Amino acid sequence: MTVTPAVEEEEKKEEEEKPKEKFEFSFDYFNESRLGLFALIVGAIIAVASFFPPLPAFVKGIGAMLVIVWGADSVRKTARYGLGTGVPSIGVLAVGFGLAGAITGMAIGSEIYHYFGIIGILGILAGVAFMAVVGYVSGVLANNEKFIGMKIPGLERGMAELAMAGTLAITLESSIVAGTWYSAAIMSPIKGYDVTPAAFFAVIFILSGFGMLQPYNSCLGADERRGRTLLMAIEIGGINCIILGAVATMSLGAVQGVPLIVLGAIVWVVYYRAYMKACMAEAYGTPGTGLIKTLGG
Amino acid sequence: MPVISLFAWLLVIVFLAFIACMFEDLESDVGSQSNPNSQVQLAPEMGYIHRYYNKAISGEGLSYALACTIAGTIALLLLLKFEPTYGPRAAILAIPVGAAVGSISHMIRASVCYPGRESAHKRFEQPIYLDVFYGHLVPIATHNFIAVICITGIAYIQSNLTVLSGVSGASNPFPLPLLCLIWGITVGAIGSSTGDIHYGTEREFQDRPFGEGRRVVYHGQICRYGDCGIRTSKDIVAFCAKYGGPATGLTFGLIVLFENWRTVIGMMLGGLAGAAWNPGIAAVSGIGLGIAVAIVLIVLNTWLVRWARKKFGPFVGE
Repeated sequence: MTVTPAVEEEEKKEEEEKPKEKFEFSFDYFNESRLGLFALIVGAIIAVASFFPPLPAFVKGIGAMLVIVWGADSVRKTARYGLGTGVPSIGVLAVGFGLAGAITGMAIGSEIYHYFGIIGILGILAGVAFMAVVGYVSGVLANNEKFIGMKIPGLERGMAELAMAGTLAITLESSIVAGTWYSAAIMSPIKGYDVTPAAFFAVIFILSGFGMLQPYNSCLGADERRGRTLLMAIEIGGINCIILGAVATMSLGAVQGVPLIVLGAIVWVVYYRAYMKACMAEAYGTPGTGLIKTLGG
Repeated sequence: MPVISLFAWLLVIVFLAFIACMFEDLESDVGSQSNPNSQVQLAPEMGYIHRYYNKAISGEGLSYALACTIAGTIALLLLLKFEPTYGPRAAILAIPVGAAVGSISHMIRASVCYPGRESAHKRFEQPIYLDVFYGHLVPIATHNFIAVICITGIAYIQSNLTVLSGVSGASNPFPLPLLCLIWGITVGAIGSSTGDIHYGTEREFQDRPFGEGRRVVYHGQICRYGDCGIRTSKDIVAFCAKYGGPATGLTFGLIVLFENWRTVIGMMLGGLAGAAWNPGIAAVSGIGLGIAVAIVLIVLNTWLVRWARKKFGPFVGE
């Protein structure tokens, strides 16, 4: 069949609108370990590179989304063993670790950069490594029978991963707002305004926290599926990018901010649709309305 | 007259807090968030298929922290942009737009919860009712908008109190998003702790002896039928708006009122930052007043509990 590009585009659009299309999105290759390693490596590279202000904000946005997916996966891994109402707490714990780790990393990196030059940009990884140790130790304390004795399988690893993911997320998102994670830039007023990038730490904190805690909390149940949960994590990463893009438009200008907003919007639309389709396809049924089943009937 | 205007702004904040927490509680009832949600989640697992909306974003405190912080951030961005040109009038635009963005974000997050949780109930044969799904989104967004706009307004008043009241040093030094985060967590926490009790005991579990907790045997056995037909979460709002919501708003309003009232009275007794300003007297009289208020409240509550027990019969097992 020969079709002109315009017709082809139209057809594509039509195809997208058709509800019968079956959406398959598999995280089979990215199992828990591979996803973690991939996100850690890519996130760390982008975090180191985001010291330089010319790095586009949407690259940092991609890094932040990846890291948030990893964090959501770790929350799922940690909270799967019947924590129930503890899921949001685990997510907030992750960003709490992350805030401490990010500030440590920024301080160490900036200080080394101040005295020894460019090698200091690797200092941000010191914060990640530090939080990995802190997270592991807190996992051991929570699991060990001598202390709290929660006996959750894999808690040590989960805590370490959460702390690292939180640190990378906070670092990347604060460098989206300030242009760099250099502490002098974060603590000094934004050009032309009477406010520092540190004023937006509250929104950075809560946004990355929700990226990690909401997916598993909202999908929790007997038939929860990892792929579906992670689709939602990516979708929330898109919302985060839109809001941080608005902040970056103010602090760094439209050149940095607008591509991030566009990226966030595209990611949000695509993955929201994919998630909803997955839910509707995998539910017991999706009646328009209906009565409820009575007991025994 | 700076003290009078400080009091006036205090009362404005209390009023906004009352409205905010009332609507916060009603909004959480639209989607059965927080504590009652655990039973809504449990019901299909026990064989009770229902038509409640399962809005499990997170606890109320956190989800309100999120909505309010986004609102505060967007409001701050607009204020920074427009305040140099239009002065304080920029707030007329900034606060509603910020709150709108916050509540839309909240609605989007609420919309992913119901399909997520109910599709995870596949093996218990709980379907996703599309009318329940679509019908609850707008009430969630609108109730949330009222709560978030009030909280953003409170944070704005707090961070500009020096200009508004004329008392030097009255402004809060925190940036707007951080104030919104703190107020959001607070309003969610009060709404969760006070309002959920009314929703849970009066609406989800109606057939229960006075004062008894829910036995484990009956977990998940929620009231699924309404006065007419099958109950959805929207029906609960109309019921809770009569008592649970206002009571929750009153709780939060009174907390804000007593807390700030004692501080302002203490500041007045200490000379209110004038020539005779004495921080020691201000602190001591403020704390003393706070303790007096706490004692009065404890006595009143004890009396209320005794009266209720006498009137509505003994607890089971008493």
